[in-house]
Amino acid sequence: MPALARSAAFATLKAAVAMGHREASAAAFVPAGKRLIPTGLADVDLALGGGFARGTIATVEGAPGSGRSALIARLLAESTAHGLGALIEHPHGAQGRLYPPSLAAAGVHLERLLIVHADDDVGVARAADIVLRSATCSVVAIPAVRLSAPVWTRLASLAHRADALLVALGPATDELRYFASLRLELQLTGVRWSNGSGLFGTLAGIAAHATVLKHKRAAPGKQATFTCATFEQQGAPLVTCLQYTLTRSHPAYHIARA
Amino acid sequence: MPIVCALVPAYKVEVARLTQPELRACPVLVADRMERGHVLDLDASAYELGARVGMTLLQAGAHFHGSAQAPRIVVDDPVRDRALWERVLDALDAASPLVEDTAEGMALLEMRGIEGTPERWLATVRAALAEIGLPFAVALGHNRFVARVGALAADGTIVTAGNTPALLGPLPLHVLGLDEPTIERLDLLGIRTLGELAALPHGPFVRRFGPEAKHWHAWARGADDTPLIPRPRALRIDRTLFGEGSAEREDQLLFALRSLIARVCDDVAYIGKRCGVLRLQLECEDGSAHELLAHLAQPTALPTTMFDLLRAKLEGTTLRSPVTGLRLGAERFEEAGSPIGLFATGDPDPENVAIALARLEAALGAQHVLRARIHDGFRYESRFTYEPFTPQPAPATPHVLPAAASMPADSTFTLRLIQPRAIAVRMHQGAPASVGTSAVVKLAGPWRVDETWWGKPLQREEYDVLLADGALLRITRESGGTWFVCGTYD
Repeated sequence: MPALARSAAFATLKAAVAMGHREASAAAFVPAGKRLIPTGLADVDLALGGGFARGTIATVEGAPGSGRSALIARLLAESTAHGLGALIEHPHGAQGRLYPPSLAAAGVHLERLLIVHADDDVGVARAADIVLRSATCSVVAIPAVRLSAPVWTRLASLAHRADALLVALGPATDELRYFASLRLELQLTGVRWSNGSGLFGTLAGIAAHATVLKHKRAAPGKQATFTCATFEQQGAPLVTCLQYTLTRSHPAYHIARA
Repeated sequence: MPIVCALVPAYKVEVARLTQPELRACPVLVADRMERGHVLDLDASAYELGARVGMTLLQAGAHFHGSAQAPRIVVDDPVRDRALWERVLDALDAASPLVEDTAEGMALLEMRGIEGTPERWLATVRAALAEIGLPFAVALGHNRFVARVGALAADGTIVTAGNTPALLGPLPLHVLGLDEPTIERLDLLGIRTLGELAALPHGPFVRRFGPEAKHWHAWARGADDTPLIPRPRALRIDRTLFGEGSAEREDQLLFALRSLIARVCDDVAYIGKRCGVLRLQLECEDGSAHELLAHLAQPTALPTTMFDLLRAKLEGTTLRSPVTGLRLGAERFEEAGSPIGLFATGDPDPENVAIALARLEAALGAQHVLRARIHDGFRYESRFTYEPFTPQPAPATPHVLPAAASMPADSTFTLRLIQPRAIAVRMHQGAPASVGTSAVVKLAGPWRVDETWWGKPLQREEYDVLLADGALLRITRESGGTWFVCGTYD
């Protein structure tokens, strides 16, 4: 065989072998698409291995203002695009209640969103129990309330049986940390303003950093960044954009002009 | 197909006159509310002066300047209107088994197969409506349109195929329900009556005025093939369980309920219907009585669905003594069979949703299970309302629809409303310098709201502030005084 033809044959053979033994990528470990609920934020979904897994409990943690509710709104938008979603709130609690116009701006179909107002932590648990037991909602969002381990066991079992995602927002208790299959912590990294300060200025959005604290199906520690536009500013042009960088130093954030 | 039309022009006005006879002597405008209201209905004298439905009260009132009589404005009472109209429909059941509830003020009755002459039919309808007290005009026609036009033309009109052109020919185009621009377009072409419209060639007319025009042309010629849609019959099935001891425990009560539901389901299946509402009454040994109303998500005749729903309702009821009697009523019947959507996927079973809602209402209270609706408004809190969540089946979503099609590309920074709490704000050069103990790093605002000066005035300034501790808040100042924190961004 001529040398030229031999080298060409070897090249073809090497290419074929490379195709057959491609290195395993992160995508190889991603469960089937139907099992995941993507946030639609490319970086965050990549860090999560495709999205939040159905049939599990997940937490979205971080300080207020770090974009936790924005992420929950994305999940509810995804849920209500196909069926029903549930938002269980404790309006008199520290977290208050989500502002429906901002949910609508996030793409949530409000006519398909079941909103339950509970009076206390037990009410939140009862409502989550009933909604999960009905197996009608693919995403059930609750505040991260203080509940005993048996209650979380039951909720985890119901979420698994209903193939629904139970996502808790706020600082997780020890019990919740144990039962959560996925824990995501968000941190505010920047605040965006348009048109300067005062009467003509508006809060335009934030930049946030997400860290996967726990993941039962993938390696934890992955990180992602994403931005949020204020619901009243979506689609509006930003004339000037001031960026602040916030670095966390206990007890308060230190703010330095970037 | 002989059809009788029973019509009350300006129904809301006539209902108001029924309860307030002094309104008979003056022009009447019925409005949705007195303050900044709109005209919902008006009588012929107000119409002649130029007032129209949909005008604001100010606009309508302007047409009465210089007229001998000022109009009387009445606020509409839709509950009263509906209740009276239900009485009318019930009364018409005596004249025909097939009654269509076209709108409040107009009902159509199919008279095919009913013994008698046209004059006799009209007399029967008049006799049925005699006790109502409203000024009905009744007319008979060979289809819906001519029957309605006959009633509009004169009380007692009998329209036959022979006299249809003579009746319809001179009538103005308004009877077709056309909008003003279309009437003006036709007027420019010299078409002002139904007779002139009917004389136009069908094809060119439809091509020029669009697909809707084929109906106008058919109606102008006295043709209308729209079938009559009878209203559902007001049937009710009741079953009771008394005198067989008392149920002290939950399992005994549920056993009794299950057997009662089986009997009701047998009755519902016997008439070939499905029921949409269940009414359960419980009587206890101490004489107390409880009533539970359960709306089924979609009408059914399945005992398991009814049982699950009533059981969920019972979970929220506290009974202080053993139950001695049960009465179960089935209402709102529909024809058997349920629609199944093609290509629907992911939509939850409405019956499961209804049961979950019943359980949530039993556990937390009906006012805690909600759906949000967006409105326009100046205040942030008036831009939405909560309403009870109803288990209507969600519209089918084709599974080929991409999941994130309606989602914005960026994540949306959302506002969380908290219970407004007063907070100390230090001002510097007319703007907040610190909120509580934290300095304000950056702010946007103020956005001023100043409204309801005619009632309870509200003056408010809203700011978005970034504090030194990293918090992003929405704060407000009411009437130049107290500051409140009303929301946090998250």
